[in-house]
Amino acid sequence: MQNIIDVQGLKKEFKSFSSRSGLKGAFRDLFTRNYTIKTAVDDISFTIKKGEMVGYIGENGAGKSTSIKMLTGILTPTDGKIVVNGMNPHKEREKFVKTIGVVFGQRSQLWWDIAVQESFRLLKKIYNVPDQQYEEHMKDVIETLDIGPLLDKPVRKLSLGQRMRCELAAALIHNPPLLFLDEPTIGLDVLVKLKIREFLKRINEKYGTTILLTTHDLSDIEALCERVVMLDEGKIIYDGPLKELRENWAEGKQIQFQFSEKATLEELQHLTQEHLVVWEKGESDLVWVASVDADETVISGVIGKVTAAKKIADLKILEISTEEIIRNIYVEGAVRHG
Amino acid sequence: MEYISIFFQYVGQYLKTRLTYRADMIVEIFSDLLFQAVNLVFILVVFGHTNLLAGWSKDEMIFIYGFFLVPFSIFASFFNIWDFTDRYIVKGEMDRILTRPVHSLFQIVLERMELESLFGVVTGLVVMFYAGDKLGLEISWYDPFIFILLVIGGALVYAGIFIALATIGFWSDSRTDIMPMMYNIGNYGRYPVDIYNKVIKYVLTWILPFAFVGVYPSSYFLEREEWYTYAFLTPVVGIVFFLIAVTLWNVGVTKYRGAGN
Ligand SMILES: Nc1ncnc2c1ncn2[C@@H]1O[C@H](COP(=O)(O)OP(=O)(O)OP(=O)(O)O)[C@@H](O)[C@H]1O
Ligand SMILES: [Mg+2]
Repeated sequence: MQNIIDVQGLKKEFKSFSSRSGLKGAFRDLFTRNYTIKTAVDDISFTIKKGEMVGYIGENGAGKSTSIKMLTGILTPTDGKIVVNGMNPHKEREKFVKTIGVVFGQRSQLWWDIAVQESFRLLKKIYNVPDQQYEEHMKDVIETLDIGPLLDKPVRKLSLGQRMRCELAAALIHNPPLLFLDEPTIGLDVLVKLKIREFLKRINEKYGTTILLTTHDLSDIEALCERVVMLDEGKIIYDGPLKELRENWAEGKQIQFQFSEKATLEELQHLTQEHLVVWEKGESDLVWVASVDADETVISGVIGKVTAAKKIADLKILEISTEEIIRNIYVEGAVRHG
Repeated sequence: MEYISIFFQYVGQYLKTRLTYRADMIVEIFSDLLFQAVNLVFILVVFGHTNLLAGWSKDEMIFIYGFFLVPFSIFASFFNIWDFTDRYIVKGEMDRILTRPVHSLFQIVLERMELESLFGVVTGLVVMFYAGDKLGLEISWYDPFIFILLVIGGALVYAGIFIALATIGFWSDSRTDIMPMMYNIGNYGRYPVDIYNKVIKYVLTWILPFAFVGVYPSSYFLEREEWYTYAFLTPVVGIVFFLIAVTLWNVGVTKYRGAGN
């Protein structure tokens, strides 16, 4: 399988000028200006194959949007090599962008004042899409995204969810083999999110569209992406299957006990001293959570010891959620490799 | 060729939008006309007392103003880029432009066109015919073609200067008042340059060549042979300045930093 995206040693620095204070400072600024260099993307390399759906995640300011802007030819890299769809995005911009679709959730790609349909028509012209291809493809897109009734409204009169669905449709007018989505589900309600996910899955299956998306909503990633690339302060800290990330990090399970009588930490620690357990208090004195290795003997051992000594009202075994895993990784700032 | 068909698609869309807001359009045309009338009155007042200024008569001045209106109106219709930095750089609209397979400057021209300003072409022609008639100017068969050539040259001069200024936004997005200032300087081009001192004349010819929008090309029609060389340089200067500006623009695009959301 061929690489659709091939990035080697990609780097982007932003120089930002700061002004000195006072009149004297302003005068000195005229001649030499103070600046600091911010490395937004710091020497990253990865490849993406045709048909993959990859989640690009990281905290605010990690450099996700900056990387996407370099991959789409908007920004010139400070250093490094990018080949996307066999082209250098920035060098051959006009030819290159015909082969990609882009959605920035934070910013509209459509013309504010004109009806959605008219925007589509202009885009069709800009991308030089033949009538027949447009009819066939867009009919399907419009139906799946359920935007038929919105077509004759101007963009400024649409709600966020309505607009976002139209943005997606607009990005697909030329049926590109590669789609970049920067926070496409930001601010949307659950139903619209589901619809968009379903739609993305569908075009991925139907046309083999490769999709790279950033989001802060990990359920998007769980629903769509087998692979995640995790960025922290401009560096890739994890690149691999979502499943593996979960397994390496969530080696443990949590057992939640609801006791019928009060329990104390010492008491519980004493009971389970032969196992490696971390006890944490839950919502009340009666609820305690034991974090343990995902090992059957340990789990049944702990449950056995505790239930033999104390009466319990309820018992739950919890998987650690992806959300929690990712939060832990952000906090630690690195990924353990298992 | 593709660009021409994209162009007409945009014009069609523009007219459609404008016709739904008809009142706006009428107001705009009216205010343009008013603005042109004020300028004309200004010339009449200045020349109310003296009939000759540095060897130019009142009617010649009026003719030059009429000519100037034509390339200027064309420029004003298509190169509304005086707020480029604010609109496209600071607000990050350039991101959207750069993800589309058409030259970025061309897209901005299309998005920002104000076809109402083309009405100034009509005003300009009327003023020229009025003044030309009073001056007893003759029109030969090839004059319309030369006129078109000189008008295009003049419009390119204007466009070149303003595009070059807009590109500053790619390097620095701080606010400057350079655009309005330049509009004022542009107005000097509609008066004969020999009324100014040498330095200003030099600047208006070679640095900010606004003289190629008004007085130089007009001198061809006014049969001022001493200025013919300049008159015929108009298209050359226009093309050279425009090409320099587009080159600067293309370099500027590679410096675009985007808005950090
Ligand atoms: N145009 C710019 N000029 C200066 N600094 C910038 C610019 N754009 C981004 N940055 C800086 O680069 C870093 C990465 O920004 P980026 O927008 O790529 O983050 P992100 O991962 O998309 O974050 P978020 O999740 O908040 O969207 C930030 O520290 C930001 O301040
Ligand atoms: Mg971002």
